[in-house]
Amino acid sequence: MHKIALIFGHNDYTFEIEKNIKFHYKKIYIFKLDAQDTSKDSNGYEIQTFDLSEDWDELRDSVDIDECEAFCILEDMSKNIFLTLSLRDTFKNLKIVALSQDKESTEKLILAGASKILPTTQTTANIIVEMIKKPIVTEVLHNILYEKSNLKIAQVMVKNAQYFNGLYASDIDWSKEYNITVLSVIDEDGDTEFIYSAKAKHQQIKNGYQFVVVGFDKDIIEFEKLIGGANE
Amino acid sequence: MIALIFSSVFILIREVKSHVNDELLFYNNYVVSAIFLVEYLLRFWISSSVTQTIIKQSEHDVMLGNEFNLSLALKNILYEKIRYVISIKAIIDLLAILPFFHELRLLRLFILFRVFKLFRYAKSIQVFTSVVAAKKFEFLTLFIFASIVVFVSSVLIYVMEANNPASPINTLFEALYWSVVTISTVGYGDITPITEAGRVVAIFVIIAGIAVFSFTTSLIVSAFTEKLDEIKDTKLVDDIAKKREFYLICGYENISKEVAKKLVQNSEVVILEENEQKVLQAKKDGFFALHYDPGSIDSYRKLRINIETQVSAILCLSHSDVENVYTALTIRSFNKDVFILSILKAKTNRNKLLFAGVNELLYEKELVGMIAKEFVGKPVAFEAIHALQSSYNGIEMQEIIINERIIDGYKVVAELECHKHRIILLGIYKKSKKNFYFNPFYETSLEVGDYLLLIGNIQFIKEFTDNLHKGKQ
Repeated sequence: MHKIALIFGHNDYTFEIEKNIKFHYKKIYIFKLDAQDTSKDSNGYEIQTFDLSEDWDELRDSVDIDECEAFCILEDMSKNIFLTLSLRDTFKNLKIVALSQDKESTEKLILAGASKILPTTQTTANIIVEMIKKPIVTEVLHNILYEKSNLKIAQVMVKNAQYFNGLYASDIDWSKEYNITVLSVIDEDGDTEFIYSAKAKHQQIKNGYQFVVVGFDKDIIEFEKLIGGANE
Repeated sequence: MIALIFSSVFILIREVKSHVNDELLFYNNYVVSAIFLVEYLLRFWISSSVTQTIIKQSEHDVMLGNEFNLSLALKNILYEKIRYVISIKAIIDLLAILPFFHELRLLRLFILFRVFKLFRYAKSIQVFTSVVAAKKFEFLTLFIFASIVVFVSSVLIYVMEANNPASPINTLFEALYWSVVTISTVGYGDITPITEAGRVVAIFVIIAGIAVFSFTTSLIVSAFTEKLDEIKDTKLVDDIAKKREFYLICGYENISKEVAKKLVQNSEVVILEENEQKVLQAKKDGFFALHYDPGSIDSYRKLRINIETQVSAILCLSHSDVENVYTALTIRSFNKDVFILSILKAKTNRNKLLFAGVNELLYEKELVGMIAKEFVGKPVAFEAIHALQSSYNGIEMQEIIINERIIDGYKVVAELECHKHRIILLGIYKKSKKNFYFNPFYETSLEVGDYLLLIGNIQFIKEFTDNLHKGKQ
């Protein structure tokens, strides 16, 4: 688990992200671009400044960059792409999550070295369509994903494969036996397969595999104990 | 009606040189005329509302504190009806009935007036007349100019030619005929001036004819160019009015474009946008887009749609909360029930949008925050859910409502045999209790109105759904 989050950009997205990620990091640093509006709330943070011509020496001296993950959330896409590129150029192994407002910027951010993209327009459009086409599915998934109900989604790593005694994932009635739903299986290469896909049907459960499961907290914990351990 | 008109004209043409049997004549003189008479009377009846005129007069008198004036109301009704009777459309309708009195041979020629009735039924003719009507001042000027040229040239050619025994122009009518044929650039050549003075007049008339012809052409072209967008919009509105069900998107921005792209895959979408450039862009992107203000009641009136039955949902996707509030309030002012979804740009405006009557709100920044959490917390799980939502690899999540037909064959969860169909039953949403039951027991009973939430391959889910609707074999 990384210890430090570096949020580059002081705007409406900043504290929405901070609110949601603060439990995953020991420390969060917020940076604002020199020219950015200074009237925004700081929520108790000491907002530091940076400019796009930085060589990041000061940052390197103040934090252990190997412990960090960066969030580039400048609203001006050209500046955000430049920032991502600048960070990637300096820190080869830094995980960079970048905000993108359109498809074109997404492609450029990936080229600039972003590890993950937060595609605002695409995501909002997807959710809108889901909300009107499948309102119940959306509500349930939303509640599971954003932990607004007792149901949780978790990744569980198999460390005790002999427990399954050579069985195939699709042969097991997970809901009946463990009161959980297994959505997909991730093999040792990181390939994700839906539990009933043709490939998963012919895969014996091995150590190192991960299950993406949905269930109640206590059932997931129980399941983790049986097969080895959770990722988190 | 169009068929009646054409059949009637066909009989008239045939009658000129051939014998037409009595049945056809009866049909033409009585049956068609009778139908047109009924149509005329019905149109006369609905041309103005008698009740509405009386109510209007009554309301007017009540407002002024006067006693109800029936005679004035009747006078207004009479005025409205007479106004209809003397309208060009009504006169054409009346003339089309006249062949009914077929004994008067001249009146039979009025059958040709039936052709004019086509104006009522053929939309393109209406469009053409509306285009011409839009330029009536210019056409009037042209008509006056052409009339003066015809009048002057007719008199001149008569004066120059009539006294010459070799000239074919001997009467004023022949002079008028020659002028009209020449000015219209038709120039039959059956009558030509032979005197030098007459030929000089002809040169001027020919030049004037070219001017009239060019002026007329340019007038029609410019009238059509100016009205082209309007004509296209009218056609679009007609097409929209015919749609059975569609989503109405107010505002065309980045998000609207993405939403529309996804929705058009299996639904119909109509976009209302105030900005002309954005409307053009939306049309270029292949959507039904109208240059209408979504915040104006008039826009919805012009659409001529039934919001209750035709509109599945209204999406306020402008990048301004003020515009979205205004649009939502406008819609709520005439419809309380239609589902409205809006995006929220500034958190502080949440309550304002809800107060304006929006059913669902989506705050983009909050969404980004939650996604960031999943990214850092459960990246793989997030990817899995995201894949489900975007039907990646053909796997998707579907909701199926239990209806009477399904309940006849399937009473409890165990009977669904989801495992056998290689799909996952994530849970049941009981609408009556507004509760989601994850991983329901096999003995859980199904009820009408319940939603099954299924995950699986699209084809397997489809097959499973078909089986449900067929009932147990």
